[in-house]
Amino acid sequence: MVSAQDSANKLISVDFSQAKIEQFVSDLESKTGYHFYYSPVQFDSLKVTLQASNKTLGQVLDMAFAKTDFHYTIKDQFVFLTKGRRLYTDLAVGFFNAPAANNEAEKQPTTAVDYADETEKKVAEATTENKIYEIGIKTNNIKSGTATLAGYVRNIKTGEAIIGASVFDPDSKVGLATDQFGYYSLTLSRGRHTLLIRGLGMKDTRRRIILYSDGKLNIEMQEQVTSLKEVQISAEKVANVRSVEMGVNKLDIKSIKQIPTAFGEADVLKVVLTLPGVQTVGEATTGFNVRGGSADQNLILLNDATIYNPSHFFGFFSAFDPDIVKNIELYKSTIPEKYGGRLSSVLDVTDRDGNTKKFTGSAGIGLLTSRLNIEGPIIKDKTSFIFGGRTTYSDWLLSLLPNAYKNSSASFYDLNLGITSQLDDKNTIYLMGYMSKDNFRLNSDTTYAYSNKNANIKWKHNFNNKLYSVVLAGIDHYDYSIASTENPIDGYKLNFGINQYNFKTDFNYYVNPKNTIDFGLSAIYYKLNPGNEQPDGAKSLVIPDVVAQEQAMENAIYLGDKYDITSDLSISAGIRYSLYAYLGPQTVDHYAPNLPKEAVNVTDSTTYGKNKIINTYSGPELRLSARYNIGDDMSVKAAYNSMRQYIHLVSNTTAISPTDSYKLSDPNIKPQLGQQVSLGWYRNAKANTIETSIEVYYKTIANYLDYRSGATLLLNQHIEQDLINTKGKAYGVEFLVRKTAGKLNGWISYTYSRTFLRQDDPFAGELINGGDWYPANYDKPHDFNFNGNYRFSHRFSVSLDVTYSTGRPITLPIAKYEYGGSERVFYSDRNAYRIPDYFRTDFSMNIEGNHKVHQLTHNSWSIGVYNLTGRANAYSTFFSEQGGVINGYQLSIFAKPIPFINYNIRF
Amino acid sequence: MKKYLYIILLFLAALGCRKLYNPPVITSSGNGKSYLVVEGMISPRDSTIIRLSRTVPLSSTLGVRPELGASVSVISDGGSSYVLHETGNGYYTAFGLGLSEAGKYGLRIITAEGKTYQSDLVPVKNSPPIDSVYYEVKTNGVQIYADTHDPTNSTKYYRWDFNDTYIYQSAFYSFDYLSTSPFDTVLIRPRGNQVNTCWRGDQNTDIILNSSAKLSRDIITKNPITFIPSTSEKIGNRYSILVKQYGLTQDAFNYYQQLQKNTEQLGTIFDPQPSQIPGNVRCLTNPAETVIGYITAGNATQARIFIDIRNLPAWLPDNPYAGCRLDTDLFARPEGTADYLNEVQEYIYTGVHMPIAGYEPPGSTRVLGYTASDPSCVDCTLRGTNERPGFWTDQ
Repeated sequence: MVSAQDSANKLISVDFSQAKIEQFVSDLESKTGYHFYYSPVQFDSLKVTLQASNKTLGQVLDMAFAKTDFHYTIKDQFVFLTKGRRLYTDLAVGFFNAPAANNEAEKQPTTAVDYADETEKKVAEATTENKIYEIGIKTNNIKSGTATLAGYVRNIKTGEAIIGASVFDPDSKVGLATDQFGYYSLTLSRGRHTLLIRGLGMKDTRRRIILYSDGKLNIEMQEQVTSLKEVQISAEKVANVRSVEMGVNKLDIKSIKQIPTAFGEADVLKVVLTLPGVQTVGEATTGFNVRGGSADQNLILLNDATIYNPSHFFGFFSAFDPDIVKNIELYKSTIPEKYGGRLSSVLDVTDRDGNTKKFTGSAGIGLLTSRLNIEGPIIKDKTSFIFGGRTTYSDWLLSLLPNAYKNSSASFYDLNLGITSQLDDKNTIYLMGYMSKDNFRLNSDTTYAYSNKNANIKWKHNFNNKLYSVVLAGIDHYDYSIASTENPIDGYKLNFGINQYNFKTDFNYYVNPKNTIDFGLSAIYYKLNPGNEQPDGAKSLVIPDVVAQEQAMENAIYLGDKYDITSDLSISAGIRYSLYAYLGPQTVDHYAPNLPKEAVNVTDSTTYGKNKIINTYSGPELRLSARYNIGDDMSVKAAYNSMRQYIHLVSNTTAISPTDSYKLSDPNIKPQLGQQVSLGWYRNAKANTIETSIEVYYKTIANYLDYRSGATLLLNQHIEQDLINTKGKAYGVEFLVRKTAGKLNGWISYTYSRTFLRQDDPFAGELINGGDWYPANYDKPHDFNFNGNYRFSHRFSVSLDVTYSTGRPITLPIAKYEYGGSERVFYSDRNAYRIPDYFRTDFSMNIEGNHKVHQLTHNSWSIGVYNLTGRANAYSTFFSEQGGVINGYQLSIFAKPIPFINYNIRF
Repeated sequence: MKKYLYIILLFLAALGCRKLYNPPVITSSGNGKSYLVVEGMISPRDSTIIRLSRTVPLSSTLGVRPELGASVSVISDGGSSYVLHETGNGYYTAFGLGLSEAGKYGLRIITAEGKTYQSDLVPVKNSPPIDSVYYEVKTNGVQIYADTHDPTNSTKYYRWDFNDTYIYQSAFYSFDYLSTSPFDTVLIRPRGNQVNTCWRGDQNTDIILNSSAKLSRDIITKNPITFIPSTSEKIGNRYSILVKQYGLTQDAFNYYQQLQKNTEQLGTIFDPQPSQIPGNVRCLTNPAETVIGYITAGNATQARIFIDIRNLPAWLPDNPYAGCRLDTDLFARPEGTADYLNEVQEYIYTGVHMPIAGYEPPGSTRVLGYTASDPSCVDCTLRGTNERPGFWTDQ
């Protein structure tokens, strides 16, 4: 004992640098003569960095194990090193009557802990809430300062990434939402933390961690079984108040599926229309207008691929397969700087990743469409695929259409394929392919067809926890054709096509918890075939008519920074600089200055060779927003955005129709420019279950394209002669109250907005409405939406949707007269009148079978009525002459209540 | 592998319906509210012809409603006023007002209901002479062009219209005619009253415009005036066209150009976007009232050419008389029976047929009847006039 005491008090000097346990122990054994007992397995993650001189063994061990889970006990000449708990060598008071404790048993630790490799350790799949995860390179004492924790949040069942899940540390109030890959990167002070993780439709979970240094933690979450019946709009319940972004709506497929649609099939785009600030010109059109922008000013992305025509079958169906889609995000105001090229909005549709664990699938058979999807691992937990296809056999439906369409036929299909491969912790590859095709024939023998084809490959690389990059290369294609062989003499086939080759690199850099930088570049090469008419059939005498192909390059670089100035004030500032070049080969007409662009004013034309730069446009786009918190549940935000658009939809119809073509900016057609300021107030009540917001905006558009009266747009060799530049202005206020939890959930939105255009260029040759402001086609001042869901029990709920909006403006022919040798029609001022107001109510009941988890089949019924009140809303008005008399007609698409019933069986 | 099976049952009561849509604004113009339409040109030297009419509702079968009983005068920037005379059917005219070409002129209209309308005062834009009107033979017809130039480089904006005339013959030359007094009888047709050769004509229904504004010199070459398809009856024999050329101000040119594009289109289900075209006539009594029309001032120039079938390829023009058949109407058919039909009385005296010549077969001692045909096959004046136009020359 004496010698032991002596040697225990013996002063030693040590100098360890990243010493492993063996090294540490043998050094101390040699210096003190004590014998150490420990489990090498338990201690293999320990590394000791320690310099000390003239300390006792106890002091050295105290220092080495400070702030770690390791303990020591010195007994006689022996040192016992343990993990998790300390070994006591003294017996508890009153222990003498009991048998002696078996010390041997306590020498071996009994707690099984997951010991990770100390260097490039395998990322722990944290599945248990009570477990403590040690992150980073373990040291005997925890350094002060911060470290970065990063990883993926995934669904435990399918392995798919969970987008927009919030990872939050309640102590430091640091938190963020996972990005589109389910990736998060969080900078925290080193030491112990409990993280709270919440995700859309997922069970809330938590993780206990000890953060030693930068490290990774992948989190798997479980699906919330009852979430099916909950409207969950916002990923992060406080996101609407806390995020710097304004005017962003996120919806997951579960809330999309809850909204009744005409044919009972969930429709991504129909749901977008119920959001405040989003309007449509007609019921069965898929084009939508965001805050006074035209339909072509929306960038519609499906897994980063640009979809030019997002609809099937005249817009009755959207082009997105509801079985594959995971969620959508609509940016109306704060458009991230990585997006560009469109003025009004970005609709980002994300498909699910395939199940990395096992093969699953679903199939649907309906009266109008059939669907099939299969997904599963190619290499388990690493590579997965998802495939989805839809097709229709809807001819019978067309026979119900008005006589004009009676002998028509229509069909469509779409195919989706996604492959996700996680090569290692740092590299993930995403492959996507999409193809859709529509064919229809309206009464005559004229056949219309259109098709989207998209493919891209994305490579995500994590340089470290703070920096990652995504590189994308892809091709987007859209084409349509019109063919008629009714009369063999003038049989023709007309083609339009657009090819877009994309290359994009995005970098995301988490500088520190307060500061995130993103930057990148993008390049798009457009190749556009504006129209090509060829004879069809051997007897055809049609003379080929070809509008020359167009080429252009659109490049952009961007830099953005999100910075928290104080805990209450955050700003996000971004700049995007775009450079557009219109390329040869091309022949460009020149017009005499200060004269209208008319055929009579063409002075000469220049022909440019292949890849010659004909002209360029460039300019900066600013994306600024700021948020100030007023207390925990209230904030105000302000944003300013400017945008540029170089590709224009050429259409004098009010919605996207399958025969609209696109036009690239050229020397005669300037890019469209848009600016928007917006201001918002956000308030959450009742523990974030009720969200309220008011947003106001004012927007201006320059070089918006409108059309001369009587414009010809198809196969027009000189399209600029039929286009005129107008100015646009739009303003509005959007109110939204949303209840996200409880038996009653849903939202009410009301928007008051106006959109005006003005053509006041005296050199344009035609002053629309005398150069005054006139309402745009989609100017609908009042817009009210109610979407409500009441859950009586877990097995029975009802949904009610109510939509009201002002009728859209139209130009009416109001009289006829004779002038210049023939009868002419006198029209009102452009858009001087409105069609009747729009009102619709839809109702559905959802009845679920029992909720036993392990039964063979799960049944559910969905019964409802579309357009409950049977109001004949005007879809279109048109005029036709019969026997010298002109009459107006109103066409309604769903003029009666349309009941539907859906029976789902899952086994 | 987990399977999902969705069985979707869907009931559709009906999909789509079309119903009449006539908003008040359309029907109200039928309740007497219609807009004044003013068309014409003030000519300092030649005749000034102004046409006043009213718009009619879309649902009206009426083509045009003339505005009668208005007092119309030409006013000048010097304060003078020249009255036009109503010549009927909404036309108001004056011959050779003899106005100074340096002045500006406008139109003042006081309608029968007492409303006053006035046009802007417009400068006189004279047209330079037409250099030539000529035609080119295309594979499927004849294209007519006009050339002009203004040595002073001041006209720049041009409008043309035309009247064309062609000669044609009915299927049968009629030697006889039906005289109805004192009683129905067929007589020999006097030479001066032939109904076999006639003339008829058209005027342009399209607005023809061109401009030399983009050019350094005021020259228009090969401006298309009209195209006559090879199948047209117009070029079945001999054709003449009188082309009139007008000089326009840029404003007037824009007006006509929009009118040209805003043709008779109605707007289909896909809603193209025509819109109202503001003219230069205003209502002084009620400034909010819409008035249609654009008044210009200036002297027109004109030129005429002839096109003869002999100078054209051997086309086969449509013949409106292709279906004509020659009948023979007898006084008694069948001959020699008591129960006969007097076809002359039955068909010719009633006007169902027109007599062509007496029917007197060889060996016959008297006229047994007449060859005859449908009046539309015999009488060319049903489609035109048998008065030879003053300008008409043969070959």
